[in-house]
Amino acid sequence: MEQWIVLALVLPLATSLLNMAQLTEQAIRRLNLTGSCLVSLTLLVIVYQVAVNGNIQAGQFYVDALSAVLLLVIAILTCTATLFSLSYMKLEIVQGHASLKMLKRYYILLNLFVFTMVCVPVVENMGLLWVAIEATTLSSALLVAFYFDRPALEAAWKYVMVCTVGICLALLGTILLYYAQVSADIGGGQALSWQALKAASGRLDPGMVKLAFVFILIGYGTKAGLAPMHTWLPDAHSQAPSPVSGFLSGALLSCALYAIIRTSIIVKGAVGPAFTEQFLTGFGLLSIVIAVPFILVQHDLKRLLAYSSIEHMGLITLGLGIGTPLAMYGALLHVINHAITKSALFYLAGAVIQHYGTKNILRIRGLVGAAPVMGALFVAAVLAIAGLPPFSIFYSKLTIVWAAFQSGSAWLGVIILLLMAAIFAGMIYYTLKLGFASAPRRVAASGYRPGKPAMAAIVVSLVLMAGGGIYLPAWLDTLITRAVAIMTGGGL
Amino acid sequence: MNVLIIILLFLALLLSRVTNLKTAVIILLGQSILVALACAIVAAETGAVHTYIAAALTLVIKAGLIPYALFRIVGMLRREREVNPILQPNYSAMVAGIMIVLAYGLTDKALPEIVSRDALAAAVAMMLIGLTMIMIRRQAVLQIVGLITMENGLYLVGLSVTQGLPLIIELGVVLDVMVAVVVLVILTYRLKRSFMSTDTSVLKKLKG
Repeated sequence: MEQWIVLALVLPLATSLLNMAQLTEQAIRRLNLTGSCLVSLTLLVIVYQVAVNGNIQAGQFYVDALSAVLLLVIAILTCTATLFSLSYMKLEIVQGHASLKMLKRYYILLNLFVFTMVCVPVVENMGLLWVAIEATTLSSALLVAFYFDRPALEAAWKYVMVCTVGICLALLGTILLYYAQVSADIGGGQALSWQALKAASGRLDPGMVKLAFVFILIGYGTKAGLAPMHTWLPDAHSQAPSPVSGFLSGALLSCALYAIIRTSIIVKGAVGPAFTEQFLTGFGLLSIVIAVPFILVQHDLKRLLAYSSIEHMGLITLGLGIGTPLAMYGALLHVINHAITKSALFYLAGAVIQHYGTKNILRIRGLVGAAPVMGALFVAAVLAIAGLPPFSIFYSKLTIVWAAFQSGSAWLGVIILLLMAAIFAGMIYYTLKLGFASAPRRVAASGYRPGKPAMAAIVVSLVLMAGGGIYLPAWLDTLITRAVAIMTGGGL
Repeated sequence: MNVLIIILLFLALLLSRVTNLKTAVIILLGQSILVALACAIVAAETGAVHTYIAAALTLVIKAGLIPYALFRIVGMLRREREVNPILQPNYSAMVAGIMIVLAYGLTDKALPEIVSRDALAAAVAMMLIGLTMIMIRRQAVLQIVGLITMENGLYLVGLSVTQGLPLIIELGVVLDVMVAVVVLVILTYRLKRSFMSTDTSVLKKLKG
């Protein structure tokens, strides 16, 4: 069983290294497509093993249902991001924005990024979890700065500085947690072992655990893009190459949330759920509220999507904050749904930007007329992210709102619904402009079609979402239910 | 140990005044050597082999590779120095002083019964001074120095409350710090190339 985990870690590293060899453009594409498909398959095998046979535990590795949910997200996104990259980078080279050397660098970094992200859910130890999360920042920093032009440099500098400072606070929190563990004399040699901490959380010093939680929440919350620590996010997401933006939005933010979830399970055991819930609800609500005005008045397509990510992270955090099993179920389902939909939307945005040569929403008009297939997909993806049925996001949003009403905080449910309505209006307004006015003549005549791999990546994502809305497979339902049981303090 | 802490605090105060990049890196080098020394002292007290390894690791990476990388980039930026700081040196030293007081206050409040109170307070003070450096300095290199100062402070916090983290985690943390510096040095170099300056106040185009 654990050999699959090792394989999942070795494969992206190997693919990354192989990119350094003397390769032609064609060879690089084949290599990375093969590599990422293998990585995805391996991850899916792990998820399947966990769903069928239960947790995997070996040394520092530990995969339970909660990690499996995240691994599922990474598996899907690795595959679609690489697929989309094939067409995207090809066009970047044709348009002269990139060279063969840059292409190699891109894939080397992308695979390293996948490696660090796979590390996050498979380690068992709060300390190593910190190391893995910081590694995701560093491996993606040069991807954000990929074009090395002025805005990209600015975005990358802010990204590294804000996230590293934030994550230093998380390390401080982790040290305090370790101090609590050492003073309570728990777990012998298993320093910061998540299971040891969870099993003995009742004996930890409550004051110390509370202090640790605040630091850890601020630290990882910075990485997850929770307001008011979200300032790096719109810059980084808008400047990175589009496949990377999708990856950052879908998988990286979820990884940081995963770290928060892991910590809050221990903290709940030590000081009861009320303490963590107030913080999570507060940060979640604030993130949604802050995202609204920026979504309503936004001229940059990718920044619009970035703020939408902040909103969705806020919604998930809010779901965690409500704290009933139903809310947590909704939150986890929303993690998966958001990752798949938002990455597809970022890929589409990338294709649109390459087509029109601008990121300015006001100058992108008539997409449906100029590129019918892509336009239709774009409209569908926006409807999906805004939460319209039959797309699966509708159900996860509904679950969270429903849970809010059910848990007795009806006012919370009403506020969420109002904010969602405002965001829905904003997204649809821009989409109508972008999709249905008449296209500039130059663009309309070009008969542009994105490459087949790119279309495949987007179609697969949207089909998964539409399918997930109509039919949720039983194994996924079981997996999420088990993850929720872990989060509420039940079975390990 | 107490002498060590006093020197470390003094160096942190000094850092808050420095405007010359090279001097800042030299001070940082001294700071890192002292941190490694503190780790070695703890190792001698506890007799744990893995703490010696951690000390050696700190020495190699934080007092060796990181200053080397910073010296190289500073050599490239010959004429750069901190001009028009957000706070004049006197005020910035005062802020650092306030941070030290704050650190002692916080430590006494959060961990009243800790044995190594002075070491912990000094460590927290170093973290806070590093953090203020990142916020009030504009030079890219000085921000990196602030980041490492913060990291060193964090390392000392770990050392003074729990005799350091387990070796495998320590290894990962040090590795991460090293990669972070490499990434930041690459970005600094690129900043110099595209903006002709490493003053990060030019970075304010992305908004909204």
